[in-house]
Amino acid sequence: MATTTATITLASSDIADNSLSISNTMTLTTAGTTTGITETTGLARKKIASATEVDLISLANFTDITAQKSAKVYIKNTSTATDKYALIGIGEATGTPIYIGRLYGGDWMLFPWLALPTDADGQAASEADGGTVGHANNMDITIKMNDATETVIEYMVFFE
Amino acid sequence: MATTTATLTLSSSDLLSDALSVSATQTLYKAGTTTGLDSIQYEKLEVPTGDVYDMIDATTAGANKANKVYVANKHTDETKYVEIYIAALLVGRLYAGDWMFIPLEAAAATQDVGVEAIGAAQHIEFALIHEGKTLVAS
Repeated sequence: MATTTATITLASSDIADNSLSISNTMTLTTAGTTTGITETTGLARKKIASATEVDLISLANFTDITAQKSAKVYIKNTSTATDKYALIGIGEATGTPIYIGRLYGGDWMLFPWLALPTDADGQAASEADGGTVGHANNMDITIKMNDATETVIEYMVFFE
Repeated sequence: MATTTATLTLSSSDLLSDALSVSATQTLYKAGTTTGLDSIQYEKLEVPTGDVYDMIDATTAGANKANKVYVANKHTDETKYVEIYIAALLVGRLYAGDWMFIPLEAAAATQDVGVEAIGAAQHIEFALIHEGKTLVAS
C-alpha cells in the first residue's frame, strides 16, 4: 500500500476583517478503507490549441474505475494568461457536458471522480435512485479552451 | 481587492518508483483579470441522509465567473461518504477526511452544488469564494 497525501492551504489576510486560513490534508485511500490508493496515471501534460470541446481524460482508458471506487483527479492550466481559461466539464465532448468551472491561467483543481453512467432519469445514476453502478463512456472529463491559443494542461488521476 | 491564495501539495514517497511531489499555487482572481476575489461564504453544517441538499445555490450574479469552491468531509468513519452533485450530476464521493477544490461555472440557476450523506449524517465544511451572489429579498 502506498501513502499519498494532498494538502490544501487557503489563505487570505484581507478577504474579511479576520484572516482566512484553511489547511487540510487528506490521504488518498481506496473506497471505504484506510488502504492507500496504489495506481496513478502519473503527471501528464497535453497541449491544446483549439477551442473545440475535447476529452481531456477519457473513461475508456480506465476500465477498472467503477462507481464504487474513489478516484481523484488533478488538473492545472499551466498558462500564465489570466484572461484565458479552460472550461472543464463532465460528460461527452460530442454532447452536452455539465460544466464544472473555468481554470484560468495558473488555476488548479482537485476533485473526486465517480464516473457513473447516466440512467433512465437522465441524471447520473446513484444508489438512491436505483441506477446501475457500472460505468459507460458518458462521464469523461472534457475541456474547452476559450480560444485557440496553445495551452499546456497538466493532469493526473489517482485510482484503484 | 483582496489577495487569496490556494496552495496544493501532492506527495508520496512510495506510490511510484520515485517520489511524487507536485506543488501548485494560485491566486484567486475575478474572471479574466488580476483583481482578487473579494467575497466569501464559509460554513460548517451537518448533512442528513436521505436526499440531495443544495449546498451552494447558483445565482445570476455568480454565473460564468471564476468562483472557487472548497468542500471537506469532516466525518471520521472512513466507510462513510457524501456525494457531491453539480447541476444534478453526481461528480464524486468525498469519503471521511477527503476534500475537494474546484472552480464553479454556475452557468444557470439550475447548476447548484448539492450534497447527499450516505450511511450516516456527516458534517462538512465548505467555502465559496466568489465574484457575486444574487440576494433573495426577504
